[in-house]
Amino acid sequence: MTSAPVQEGRIGASPRKRDGATLLTGRALFLDDYAPTGLLHAVVVRSTVAHGRILTIDTAAAEGSDGVVLVLTGEQAAQHAGPVPYFIDPAARGGNRTDIRCLQVDKVVHHGQPVAAVVAGTRLQAEAAARLVEVEYDVLPHVLDATAAMAPDAPRIYEDWPGNVITHNRYGSGDADSRLAESDVVVSGELHIGRTTTSPIEPRGYLASWADDRLTVHASCQNPHQMRWMLSVSLGIDESRIRIVTAKVGGSFGLKMQGHPEETLIALLSILTGRPVKWIEDRRETLMAGAREQVHRFRVGARRDGRILGLVNEITADVGALTAQAGWAMPNMSATTQPSGYAVQDCRIELDIVCTNKPPLNAARGFGKDAAHFVMERAVDLVARELDLDPADVRRINFIPTDEFPYRTSTGLNIDSGDFHGLLDKVLDAVDYPALRERQQAARAEGRCLGIGLGFELTPESSDSPGTFVSGFDTTTVRMSVTGSVTVLTGVTSPGGGNDTGLAQIVSDEIGIPIDWVELVQGDTDRCPNGFGNFSGRSMVVGGGSATLAARDVRDKLVDAARRLMGLGEGDEVTIGDGVVSAGGTSMAVPDVARGLLTRAFAIGDIEPVLESTRAYKPGNINHVPDELGRIQPYPTYSSSLHAAVVDVDPETGKVTLLDYVMAHDCGTMINPALVEGQARGAVTMGLGSALSEQLRFAQDGSLASNRFKSYLLPRAGDVPLLRMLHQVTPSPFTMHGNKGAGEAGVGGAQASVANAVEDALASYGVTVDRVPLNPPAVLDLMDAAMAASDGGAR
Amino acid sequence: MMRYARPESLDEAVAALADGDATVVGGGTMVVPDMTHGRTRPAAVVDLCRAGLGGIEADGTGWTVGAMTSYAVLERSLVPLLARVAHGITGGPQIRHRGTVGGSACYANPGSDIPAVLVALRARLLLVGAQGSREVAARDFFRDAFETLRRPDELLATMRVPAVELPFGYHKFKLAEGSWPIVTAACVAGERLRVAVGGAAAVPLLLDLDRPSVGTADPAWRDHVRHEVARALSDVGGPFDDVLAPGAYKARIAPAIVARAVADALQAYSGEESA
Repeated sequence: MTSAPVQEGRIGASPRKRDGATLLTGRALFLDDYAPTGLLHAVVVRSTVAHGRILTIDTAAAEGSDGVVLVLTGEQAAQHAGPVPYFIDPAARGGNRTDIRCLQVDKVVHHGQPVAAVVAGTRLQAEAAARLVEVEYDVLPHVLDATAAMAPDAPRIYEDWPGNVITHNRYGSGDADSRLAESDVVVSGELHIGRTTTSPIEPRGYLASWADDRLTVHASCQNPHQMRWMLSVSLGIDESRIRIVTAKVGGSFGLKMQGHPEETLIALLSILTGRPVKWIEDRRETLMAGAREQVHRFRVGARRDGRILGLVNEITADVGALTAQAGWAMPNMSATTQPSGYAVQDCRIELDIVCTNKPPLNAARGFGKDAAHFVMERAVDLVARELDLDPADVRRINFIPTDEFPYRTSTGLNIDSGDFHGLLDKVLDAVDYPALRERQQAARAEGRCLGIGLGFELTPESSDSPGTFVSGFDTTTVRMSVTGSVTVLTGVTSPGGGNDTGLAQIVSDEIGIPIDWVELVQGDTDRCPNGFGNFSGRSMVVGGGSATLAARDVRDKLVDAARRLMGLGEGDEVTIGDGVVSAGGTSMAVPDVARGLLTRAFAIGDIEPVLESTRAYKPGNINHVPDELGRIQPYPTYSSSLHAAVVDVDPETGKVTLLDYVMAHDCGTMINPALVEGQARGAVTMGLGSALSEQLRFAQDGSLASNRFKSYLLPRAGDVPLLRMLHQVTPSPFTMHGNKGAGEAGVGGAQASVANAVEDALASYGVTVDRVPLNPPAVLDLMDAAMAASDGGAR
Repeated sequence: MMRYARPESLDEAVAALADGDATVVGGGTMVVPDMTHGRTRPAAVVDLCRAGLGGIEADGTGWTVGAMTSYAVLERSLVPLLARVAHGITGGPQIRHRGTVGGSACYANPGSDIPAVLVALRARLLLVGAQGSREVAARDFFRDAFETLRRPDELLATMRVPAVELPFGYHKFKLAEGSWPIVTAACVAGERLRVAVGGAAAVPLLLDLDRPSVGTADPAWRDHVRHEVARALSDVGGPFDDVLAPGAYKARIAPAIVARAVADALQAYSGEESA
């Protein structure tokens, strides 16, 4: 593809992040920087048992402690606040539900669940008093494993349910079992995905101020409008009296979608005390939030040439305790994202979403889609291994042909566009695949275990999910002032990834003004139009789309005004660029046109002095009407990427060292390639962490053992090689600029490519990778298992 | 209310500890985070930052390392092995400037570098208390995970490191950059090999090994190492589990880590061996 260099600030350029200097110089204000007069601090008292009935809560000592203003129990809270509405109600998916309370009333179902709250003058006072709250439990048996939780005699977490399963679903079309029976080879396996977390640098936090019968909540959150509605419901306050403000957010990754008990709780504490109350999550609390944990038992049948005919996969997903947050629903996407970018129309995927006595899963980058890729990419490599084919060739023969888009998958997703073969070619070129295979042979001759792994990832983005807060449209206002400067108010929020910069690029490009004339306002329910915040790689698709429509309206109005002010005829062609309106050899500065319109409107003609527009945008390719198989199509865009990892494995210790990493990424048109790469690097690193070192571990009593960054090992700079990024642009036919969601792609591809590389590195040991994370003890366990299997075979 | 003392001398520090209920803070890299997160709530803190216990003195027979010597000072010193180990301390410049070698010895975390290194160096630790002073050998000092011979009314003043004329080597194994050391091995290579293994057990293991005759990959010598590691582990009640790695894993990789430290020592000497 050849193209002229993109002009600074335009769509496709990479102007610097608008708040980059503020962030780098430490001047950005985050939630914890706000301290209104009269501020009180809250601390949450959490369950010390994994499962138990609350018998008594003695708050006397805490109430008498220094600086304490209020101690609140679940029973007291329930007199003032109703259940927290679900982001995605299990009932809407035919599943079991329970009322989610801001403080538990009768029973706790996981270690760390909120049972009481303390409000005091300082955080230290609140912490000291919280230690004095005495809760007596009738301890019940607990279950920490999903398979065990499905046993008939397992402890029952929610007593009115028939079991511990939220919902069981079946996905897919065709007749996978028959295809397997006809196949030349069938490979099978069990894959375990360990529990990890998102760990944003800024934890969650809320600052609620109840004054003059109005509630203002500053929140480190992703979806201020949904939070306003949820607080309105749980607290019984009309929405018009609630304002949610989301200041700078230090990373979200899905964790800060709402539905957390503390949102209602902190607001209630402010109402009850009549003072501003702030709660900032402790790192140990942040680390309780799970991101993923699943077991897959799969069978894949293929022809001798590597063509895959059918897939059967049974998924058991452990979501911990049920939450009103969106996290419990992620495993649905693990099922529906299969069979990924492969043309396999015969699939049967069974999914059980299971509760255990662990803290809840919270939405997390990847949203379950990551698991689909780990499983599919392992399956493809196993087919290649079984047939002694090159894994790259098996991918090539199974990818959806580029001329078949839009392509309806077996699970019902309608992939808008792509060129998966092109991505594969790019990656193989970048790593010089034939030379790398030779290098691998040479390394093996020296006793080194060098491995190459490929991982394809299909990333459905910008979800529109019926019956939930996951909406596929958004709304933006573009308003030009008399000075020509533009204020953009949008329902889309930024978790720190920089969509404000991308939106400013779009608006400046569409109107034809310099980017620094454009100001963004996000995350304020009193100022911004109704919208849905950030999730599912939606911000540039729906925020960008609605901003485009509104900006075009403003541009049209400018042109209309300019015609009158410049005395042009209807037929004269008018252009706007760099803040100047030009036509027929004459020109006028945009601010002059704006001022002329806004101050002399009716004098210059029959034109209203309104230089703003509010527009909503929903992309195409969304269909909520179930087909004959009950399948819906909630995702308009499908980004794709192909990952290659090169690893060295130390067979004495099991340690995996990453030597090289390449990602070829296709998110259609890139509004800002630098920001796309920034997101992709973050997602890949998150995937690498979950593939190699990160793991939430629980003690037998259900308490979190890995509750700090010395025991929960995020990748550090020294663990990650320079991540090489390549781009392919296959525009989406269904979005405003041809862009697809960007920001999630990388988690699953990284897990898959690393897992495949480790297996490839240890091929001479006969190792089969069946899990992530592949930390050193896990790798030695796999080598032992391979050894035991080969001994068994010899007998 | 927590009592806080910042003594200006060794004598003042000893006096501040006389009640026996104080937590001693050296660099604070372990104790202060524990306090921040409420894992410990000491009745009293004695902060040694001004007690004048830092610094390294050399004489003809070795080095005297003050307990409050930071890793940053240590890594620029000539103290054998300790200077090398200080380079690899995780946490960056902040930790290397705050963390102290004496503090690490007294914290006695199995997942840390210093205890085994002191054992390998045959360091002698000077404990000073109101009842008087005593000098103990490093290998006696470490009693259990997070437990030493130091009484609550004593403080560690100095570590005496005898001169080492022999080549030495070190190998540290971590799960990832952010991980604490899982198994470490420090080797001083004389006629025989003196190797101290950290992390594998609650206390450092001290091994007395044959030199490999045909290189550290020699299967017979590896068997010897495995045997000696297993024996040392059983002497101290087996390997030490922690949240990052089970004891069985540490026991399993310890011989390989020992071999790497030995190879490092022998290579430093002859330039011929390689890991």
